[in-house]
Amino acid sequence: MSEVLRKEVVYLITAIVVITMIADYFFGIKQLNDAASMVRTWAVVISAMALALGAVNLMRAHGNIVRKRVPGRWIYSGVLIFIFALTTLLGLLNINNPSTNPLYKWLFDYPYTSLGQTLYAITGFYIASAAYRAFRARNIDAALLLLAGIFVLLKNAPIGEVIWVQLPVIGGWFNDIGQVPAMRTFLITAAFGLLAYGFRTLLGKERGFYGEVATA
Amino acid sequence: MSQGIWNRLQMIDRRIIYWVLFIILMIPFIRPLGLPVSITDQTRDLYNGIRSVKEGEVVVINISSGVSAWAECLPSLVASVKVLNQQKAKIIFWTSFVDGQLTYEAIVSKVPSFKERVYGTDYVYLGYYAGAETGVAQLAKDIRSVFTADYKGTPINQLPIMQNVNKAEDVKLVLSSDTGDVCDYYIRQWRVPYGVPVAEIGIAMIYSSYQPHYKAGILFGLSNGSRGGAELEKLVGELGDATTTMDAINSSHLLVIFCIVLANLGYLATRGKK
Repeated sequence: MSEVLRKEVVYLITAIVVITMIADYFFGIKQLNDAASMVRTWAVVISAMALALGAVNLMRAHGNIVRKRVPGRWIYSGVLIFIFALTTLLGLLNINNPSTNPLYKWLFDYPYTSLGQTLYAITGFYIASAAYRAFRARNIDAALLLLAGIFVLLKNAPIGEVIWVQLPVIGGWFNDIGQVPAMRTFLITAAFGLLAYGFRTLLGKERGFYGEVATA
Repeated sequence: MSQGIWNRLQMIDRRIIYWVLFIILMIPFIRPLGLPVSITDQTRDLYNGIRSVKEGEVVVINISSGVSAWAECLPSLVASVKVLNQQKAKIIFWTSFVDGQLTYEAIVSKVPSFKERVYGTDYVYLGYYAGAETGVAQLAKDIRSVFTADYKGTPINQLPIMQNVNKAEDVKLVLSSDTGDVCDYYIRQWRVPYGVPVAEIGIAMIYSSYQPHYKAGILFGLSNGSRGGAELEKLVGELGDATTTMDAINSSHLLVIFCIVLANLGYLATRGKK
């Protein structure tokens, strides 16, 4: 199959899928709805398969690091591969319901849960340090941002209300009057952008996801 | 000399900040402050929405937050499920996170009323779905095309709770617990086309993103991280983990503000001299 034909087939399939999905949303035609439902089920299955592909890719990437003994990295990659292999093996031993395997469950309940929560908690320390270093009133805009941030912080923490009962009201004003319209504008603009992107894709002008540069 | 002090105020070693924060976070555990938490409209509406569920009505709880977000999302989920159990609602859990089962198990272990409820009849955990928004759209149309069995492998048609449930219209409301944008999928694929009420139980960071949806009436309620959890615990009348966390929130927020003020005093004092 020639390169041109191969591309045209991809564009055609994309256009058919896009039209089917849009039509399914707006029209209650049984055959059309069934076809769209089938395509969505395929997408769910393909997404699940992508997880397996991701796992294979992960092993390849880290396998290469271990094989080349990349300084400072290969030990961590080795640990990753070992844990991956162990978890997979334990899961496969009770393939119908891996959580019935006590060791498999232990891996999730203790190391995984503790590490996951620790990583997230550490960000609090980084944020505290980053706020100290970055939030400087270098100009009027930065000063306003700083002020709004402090009021919103005091609105979120109950101690703000204890310090002064109006603090949460001011913080709420920044949130509701300052932030909501800005966020709403951003969301609506992004939605229009997405719509335009969809049309461009439908017309074959947006080819980024084919691995090509978009045309004007 | 004085300029040296002002300069030093701007350059406190981050390790000192880490230690001070660590100590400040520990103090409330030794001596709790227990400051009162006022209830926001977003949380009250969430609570009232859950409270309006009648006996036997089906509620979907989408778990799209991992164990790392337990501190922020789990208390709200636990408090919401306590109310749903009081209302004798039927609860379907599912997840788009690979560790969603841990969150489901944590909820069940923290809500004592599950002992009086029957798995498969009153509540069920269907497991993981892939496909992001496409998966959510398909769940709205045909749950059985995404889930054929629950997480234990019991076929979905053998679960009494699923007898008359297969699409969005069969569900009274959706609670989505997020660390990202999964609630958007439920807004677009469940709330807008089918009118299913959706509420968000998220981390504080995404609270701002969902506030426009709440203000526009698209979300019927919104829980703001641990603060939302503490408010829900107060509304439910059973104080829990989020209420304890509020003390840490108080002390850490005050420290951050103090550090910012300190650094800015140093900056303003040295600005013209550099």
